[in-house]
Amino acid sequence: MLNGFHPLPKLALCLAWIVASLLVFRLSFQIALFVAASVLLLVDARIPPRRLLALMVPFALFGFGFFTTSVLFRADTGFAFQMAREQGGAPDAAPGLVLFFRVLACGMVSAVFAATTDPGQFVRALMFHLRLPAPMGFALLQAMHMVPDLRAEMLQLRMARAIRLGRPLRRIASPAEIGALAIPALAYAIRRATRAALSFEARGMQPGATRTHLPQPPITGRDWTLLALGLGLLVAALSAVGAAGP
Amino acid sequence: MPDALAYERVALRYPGAASDAVGPVSFCVRRGERVLLLGPSGAGKSSLLHAATGLLPEAIDGIRRGEIRVEGQPADARRPAGWADTCGYLFQDAAQTLAGFTVRDEVAFALENRAVEAVDIPGLVARAMARAGLPTDWAGRRISNLSGGERQLVALAALLAQDAAITLADEPAASLAPQAARRMTELVLARGRTALVVEHKPGPILDRIDRCLALGRDGRIIAEGPPSEVLVAQGPALADNGIALPLGIRLHLAMPEILAPAADLTDSLRGLAPGRRRTEALRAAVLPDPVPPGETLVTLRNADCAPAFGPVVLRDITLSLRAGEVLAILGPNGAGKSTLAACLAGLLPPRAGQRTGPPGAVAFQNPEAHFSRESVAAEITAATDSATASDILARWGLTLVAGQHPFTLSQGQKRRLALALLTETGRWPVLILDEPTGGLDGAGEAALGRRIRALARGGHGVAVITHDLDFALSVADRAVLVAQGALRFDGACPALLRDEARLAQAGLLPPEAAPLLGWLETAC
Repeated sequence: MLNGFHPLPKLALCLAWIVASLLVFRLSFQIALFVAASVLLLVDARIPPRRLLALMVPFALFGFGFFTTSVLFRADTGFAFQMAREQGGAPDAAPGLVLFFRVLACGMVSAVFAATTDPGQFVRALMFHLRLPAPMGFALLQAMHMVPDLRAEMLQLRMARAIRLGRPLRRIASPAEIGALAIPALAYAIRRATRAALSFEARGMQPGATRTHLPQPPITGRDWTLLALGLGLLVAALSAVGAAGP
Repeated sequence: MPDALAYERVALRYPGAASDAVGPVSFCVRRGERVLLLGPSGAGKSSLLHAATGLLPEAIDGIRRGEIRVEGQPADARRPAGWADTCGYLFQDAAQTLAGFTVRDEVAFALENRAVEAVDIPGLVARAMARAGLPTDWAGRRISNLSGGERQLVALAALLAQDAAITLADEPAASLAPQAARRMTELVLARGRTALVVEHKPGPILDRIDRCLALGRDGRIIAEGPPSEVLVAQGPALADNGIALPLGIRLHLAMPEILAPAADLTDSLRGLAPGRRRTEALRAAVLPDPVPPGETLVTLRNADCAPAFGPVVLRDITLSLRAGEVLAILGPNGAGKSTLAACLAGLLPPRAGQRTGPPGAVAFQNPEAHFSRESVAAEITAATDSATASDILARWGLTLVAGQHPFTLSQGQKRRLALALLTETGRWPVLILDEPTGGLDGAGEAALGRRIRALARGGHGVAVITHDLDFALSVADRAVLVAQGALRFDGACPALLRDEARLAQAGLLPPEAAPLLGWLETAC
C-alpha cells in the first residue's frame, strides 16, 4: 500500500506524525506510534523481523542512556525532567522512558518512509513538484550512487592494502585501517564528484537554465485520500490523548 | 560549409606543468567524417577531446593557446554546457560520469537539459535504448546495480538520445566485451556520423574510420591521412612512438619477407603457402613460448563465489592454477570474472566449497586503488627496493613522470604504475590481473605481455581477465570461459578462441588473429 503512495504526501504525513511525537509527552502515545510504525514495516514494507530489530539498534542506542537511568536506577536525568516540564509531561511514566520511546517512534516512522519510497522517484518528485533546482537534485542522486560505489571502493582499497601489506583481508576493518583509508576514500569521493560535474556540464546542465522533466507520476486522489486518512488518525490520536487529560 | 571541428595551433598545459601536455596541433574534422586519434598514453589525446567544447579550461584547470572552432564558431562563444546540442561525449570512465538514478533517468538527462517537450521524452528514451541494444526492462534498473560494461552501454544510449551532430569518444569500447564493443562501434562510427574517437587498439574499428591522426610522444602530430596510408606507410614510426598497430601490420613489420602489408590479416594470409620456417615464425609471433607447468598453486573446489556485499554470482566452480601457467579468464560483461578473481586470490572466501593455496594479489580494474604514496618513484621504491627502482621506472615508461603524484597521471600511465607495483616484486606466487590492457598503448601492452611471460617462466601462476582476446591469445596457455553463472570452458586458449559458436554464445567475437589460427591449423 505505502509503496504506491506518492512520496510527497507520504513525506508530509510522516513529518506530521514525527512533529506530533515531538510535541506529545505521553508514553502511551509514543509506544502506540512505535508499534504502529513497526507493524507497517513488518506487514506493508515486508521487512523481515530480524532486519527490523537491526533497524531499531541505532535509534535504541541513541535513547539508551535515558532508558538505563530510568529503568535500572529508577531515576531520571535532569534533561529528561526538564523536557517533561517544558512539554507538559503527564505523570503516566518516567520521563526517561518517554524520551526513549520517542526516539524509537520517530526512527521507525522515518524507516517507514525510507523503506517504502524509491529514492530516485523522491528526488524527481522534489524537482518536479517542489521546484528543487536540478543541479541540486542530480547532486543528491549522485550522492546516492556514491554510497554503494564508495562501499565497493573501500572494499577494493582494503583489498589493495591487504595485498600491499601481505596480510589476509580482515572481515571487519580495524580503526587503524579505517584511519589509513580515510584520505584515499575522501580523494576518491572528490575525484568522483569532479568527474560527475564535468559530465553534467558536457551534457548540457546549466544552473538556472530552462529544462523539462521526464513525466512523473501525478499526486492522485488515492494519495490525497491516504494523506487525509493518516491525518485523521493523527487527529483522533491527539484527541484521545487530550481526553485522557494530564 | 565550415568544418565540424577545427583546431588551429592548439596547445594545452596543466597548472604547474613545465611544458605543454599536447600541441601545438592544427587539424580539422569535417562534417560526416570519422577521425581516429592515435597516440601513446600521456600524449594528450583526452585533453584534446576535453578542449573541443571548452571543458578544458572552463571546467578542468588548464591553459589553452590557439583557437578551436565548433561548426565555424569559436568554442569560447558558449559555455561548455551550451555545446551539448552539438557535441556529445563518451567519457573514458562511464561508470563515474552517469547522472541519473535509473537507466531511464540517465538516458533522458540530456533531453531534459535541452528542454525537449516532456511528452516526447519517453519515446526518445525508448528508441535510444533499443538502438543501443538495451532490454526495455532495464529502464527502471538502478545505475548503481550495473556492471562497468553495462554502464558503458547505458552511456551509449544516453549519447544516442542526446542526438548531437558531433561525437567525441574516449576509448568508448575499452571495458566492453567484443560483441557489445562492436555494437558500440557500429553506432558511434556509423557512416555519415561526425566523430573524433580516441582508441588504443585501432584494429577492430579501422573499417569505420575515414582518417587517422597520430600524436607522438611529444604531443604533436606525426602522421595524418587515411588509415591504410598512415598505418602501413608510417607503421614503424607509429610503433616507435608506442602506438598499437593492427595485427596484420605488426606481423608485416616483424617479418616483411613472409607477410605483405595489410591492415586486414585475412588479406595478408591469402595465398600464403605453408612452410616449416614460416609456420614456426608466425606461431611464435601470436602464441606464447610454452613453459612447462609446475605444481598446482591454488585451487577452488566446488566454490560458490559472491562479491562482498552481494549474492552468489558463480556456483560450483572448480578451477586450479599451476606454477608457470598463464590462465585467461574470459566472459561477457557482468559474468562475475572479477568476483572469481577475488576468490581465486583468497581475498573473498567462497560462500560454499573450498579454496586451497597461498594468498594471491589482484591488479584491480581501477589502478588508483593501488596507490598510497606521494609520487610515482615513492610507490615503486616502497614496493620493490631503491636499487632497482630506476630500472623499473624505465621499463614501464614512467621515468619522465617519476616525481608526479600518481593521481595526476594519464589513465595509461596509472595502469602501468599499478601493474609495475604488483608484477615487479615477485612477492606473490599467484597474480591476477583484471583488465590489465585498459588504457595501455601498444608499447605498454607489449611490455606487459613480456612481463607476464617472464613471471610464468619464474614459476608464478598468472591469471588475466580480459576482453582483449588477442592479448589473451598472446600471453595465455589456458583459458576459462565464464558465463551464465558457471565455467563453460576450461582448456587450451587457442582452442577456445577458434570456437566461434561458443564465443558467440558468451557475447564474444573471435580475435583479430583468428584467420592466422586457422591458417596455422591448416598448415600443420
